[in-house]
Amino acid sequence: MEIIKARSAFLSNYEVLTLLRELEAEHIARTKTAVRIKKEEDAGHTHHDPNADEVLENLRTIELEGIQYLSADYQPTRQQSDAGIQRLVNNLASYDLTKAEKLQIVNLAPTEPVELYVIVEELEDRLGGQMEDILGAVSSSLDGRGVGQQAPPPSAGDGRRFGNALAHEAEVYVEEEQDYWQQTANDVEFDDMGEGAGIEGDLDVDDD
Amino acid sequence: MFQLSIIKDTVPLHPATFGQAPEAALKHALNKKYANRVLHNVGLCVAVFDLVSAGSGRVRYGDGLLYYKVAFRMVVFRPFVGEVVIARVRSADEEGVRLTMGFFDDMYVPLAYLPQPSAFDPSERAHFWLPSSDDDTETAPADLLDSPKDARMYIDAGEVLRVRVESDMFCDDEPGPPRAGEGGVAPPPVRERRAPYSVVCSISEQGLGPVAWWKAAQVEGGEDEMMEE
Repeated sequence: MEIIKARSAFLSNYEVLTLLRELEAEHIARTKTAVRIKKEEDAGHTHHDPNADEVLENLRTIELEGIQYLSADYQPTRQQSDAGIQRLVNNLASYDLTKAEKLQIVNLAPTEPVELYVIVEELEDRLGGQMEDILGAVSSSLDGRGVGQQAPPPSAGDGRRFGNALAHEAEVYVEEEQDYWQQTANDVEFDDMGEGAGIEGDLDVDDD
Repeated sequence: MFQLSIIKDTVPLHPATFGQAPEAALKHALNKKYANRVLHNVGLCVAVFDLVSAGSGRVRYGDGLLYYKVAFRMVVFRPFVGEVVIARVRSADEEGVRLTMGFFDDMYVPLAYLPQPSAFDPSERAHFWLPSSDDDTETAPADLLDSPKDARMYIDAGEVLRVRVESDMFCDDEPGPPRAGEGGVAPPPVRERRAPYSVVCSISEQGLGPVAWWKAAQVEGGEDEMMEE
């Protein structure tokens, strides 16, 4: 074994969650096939897939615990969507943020100034007036369903309308949150977004 | 919090897997070898992300296995120093607070990184922070225990904390290969097993610590603003 590059790129929590859910879906599909094959075998057929009945215990453990952590109710991933994150990263590009700060904004989705203070060093000096804009960009990227229901990005001089739009968004957000509480665990939606290639490109450490 | 590591390895495939697509069989073998394991100075491996390149399989003399030289990308859990992450309190003792992320348990907040002034309440088995006391007066931990109970902010087990990663450490405690010339078998030194990968976190800054603390503060702040309007 040889480590070629320990850190070739960063991944956002959302991407990891997508990957783990894909693995989970694969596993469930494989288990179903295995059950079907077993039935066929009982009926007299003798086809056998060796991988089907070899469950990787370690992979299953980290897969389930990872999904549990990444989709817990204190994580923003449940309101995030592929399109939403992509839009957020595009919006963040205009601010003077480091890659690590952008990654953390995507991962933690700060909606309150306190949270942003923790993530961005010397927030006041660097981006004093733009804080609200960043928080607005974050909350508009959280929509839960990935449907384009956000208000268009406000123009720079239109502060009041922006504030109203934000308040409206906040209400929508609260309602959705309640929806989530009512949903059963079986109802978890699974978006196959091809491992979120869009964000990865932006957060790559190197360009090759 | 997660990163991609490029790793090169030689993977043997059993003849029983020859019927499958080589890519799937290789991923399966790699996941079997790496998933949920700590790579020294790399981090905790989660799962194979994709294969970068793979040579053609070669058979060696002696067994019927196909050996593939593979380069692949691994999803690795390795929060960088200074990163803010969310974790739950697993337990607390006199030495500090132990955190868990579900899939990763070896995260600690030592006493020095707790918000000051704070103390450990042995009857509740939890640390608490006294936000109301003045910063100028140095209070001994013993005095803090005399404080009124309702002024204390407890960090209870199971609570969701926002923490900053301060440092991480890898320990390789696996015994090496036995040395020749030592004669008999040397008794293995009995030592406490250390975690192969542990992370030290801090909650001593503004905005860190139980998420609920700051949520509550925000609500109050929001009300104040409403009043001003």
